[in-house]
Amino acid sequence: MQDFISHLTSWAPALATGVEYTLLLTLTGMTLALIVAIPLAALRSMKGLPVLRGIASFYVEIIRGTPLLLQLFYIYFVLPQMGIRLSPLVAGSIALGINYSAYLSEVFRGGIAAVEKSQWEAAQTLGLSGRFTWTHIILPQALRISIPSTGNYVVSMFKDTALCSTITVTELLFTGQLIGQQSFQYLQIYTVVFVIYLIITYPASRGVAWIERRTRIEAR
Amino acid sequence: MKEINVDRPSKTEPHLVTIENAHKRFGANVVLQGVDLHVDRGEVLAIIGPSGSGKTTLLRTINGLELLDTGSVTVSGLIIPAMSELVSQRTRDAIVRQIRSTVGMVFQQYNLFPHMTVLRNIIEAPVFSRGVDKETAVKTAIQLLDRMGMADKASAHAHQLSGGQRQRVAIARSLALNPELMLFDEVTSALDPELVGEVLQVMRELAAEGMTMVVVTHEMQFAREVADRVIFMDGGVIVEEGKPEDVFAHPKHKRTQKFLHRVLHPLAEESENSEQNDQGVE
Repeated sequence: MQDFISHLTSWAPALATGVEYTLLLTLTGMTLALIVAIPLAALRSMKGLPVLRGIASFYVEIIRGTPLLLQLFYIYFVLPQMGIRLSPLVAGSIALGINYSAYLSEVFRGGIAAVEKSQWEAAQTLGLSGRFTWTHIILPQALRISIPSTGNYVVSMFKDTALCSTITVTELLFTGQLIGQQSFQYLQIYTVVFVIYLIITYPASRGVAWIERRTRIEAR
Repeated sequence: MKEINVDRPSKTEPHLVTIENAHKRFGANVVLQGVDLHVDRGEVLAIIGPSGSGKTTLLRTINGLELLDTGSVTVSGLIIPAMSELVSQRTRDAIVRQIRSTVGMVFQQYNLFPHMTVLRNIIEAPVFSRGVDKETAVKTAIQLLDRMGMADKASAHAHQLSGGQRQRVAIARSLALNPELMLFDEVTSALDPELVGEVLQVMRELAAEGMTMVVVTHEMQFAREVADRVIFMDGGVIVEEGKPEDVFAHPKHKRTQKFLHRVLHPLAEESENSEQNDQGVE
């Protein structure tokens, strides 16, 4: 036990950096995902604009039909051959962002569909423009409806950041791996990493569940 | 088969709203089959009839929420081209937009914006579609709310209000745009019975101020008291039309009599039905 505690103290700085990178990847990945997903969902929900809608649907199908790990490899190993060289952290963020944008766009599309058609009619009747109606009437309600599902995807992305260990981002899992290779204390270090993931995901999941309950009550 | 000239001069238009030979179907379901209707300035017109009679659809054609298959709707001299007319989407949209700027509408389900306060619900359109400065819009909104007896609810959200209060906000929201014509689509049908009165009271006051109103309603008492003219629709046509005292007291058509009897004496329905069935056999 004494031993374990002294190990843990010596691992702590590296693990803290690992957690930092994991959180950073989640933040940048999620930000990118949201920026892409919202217009994507709006585009796919609009009547008219069939070409753009087709392109958007194609994008979503490609992303959802291939593994995230492959997308990550593509961005990190294949793009450099085309002259686009990205740091591991940037490549990881982009891969996570693009991948999750496809799933989130489906969430938001559902949210948009859940806003009643009568809201459109009310806005039209009041002479509000299509653009204004989208940005001020439909999307705010749609996004609110989408908050619980989005929360689940945040937790999910947090775990998927571990895939970035394969392209040498020293996030939490890769940090654990490195420590394991140096110390041969696999049981201890992986258990510690296991617990750290849980310490963050468990309260986060509970939080999402709480938000889910609250938004359901408010919707009445 | 009548030819409609889109550029018909508007100055001679005697009525605020004129609907001519309106036809509309949804798929196989024929909703309007040849309706002619006009509404004069300052007039309160009540449209009654059983559900599925086409009265809501007719109302919705007046501000272009539904477009006719054939026929014409003219509001303040502007003609909304029917689907059969070869008119670009853009032109049609422009006409409808212009008409909507003078026509307010209140819906059965209120259709307030749930994520906004009562005040913002009201000022949003004046500020963002009319360019009224915010201060003036707020002032007008507060006055309207005051008139509705709801000045204390300006910062509430829709879900905190009763149905009657929501509907009064919806009316205020429409009035904030100074419409020439107000359309009411069964605005009390979703309300608990004890809340109907407060909404009808607001409408009664509007009528007294001379607002032109087209009211689709199940409130026969209201139609009788407030309307200048009543039309009874059934099966996509206007069956009977006249002054409320005539239509309600001496309905000429069998279908009107039957409908009025049913809504005015709901408890007598059963015996009446069997009686009519007996007669039908003859």
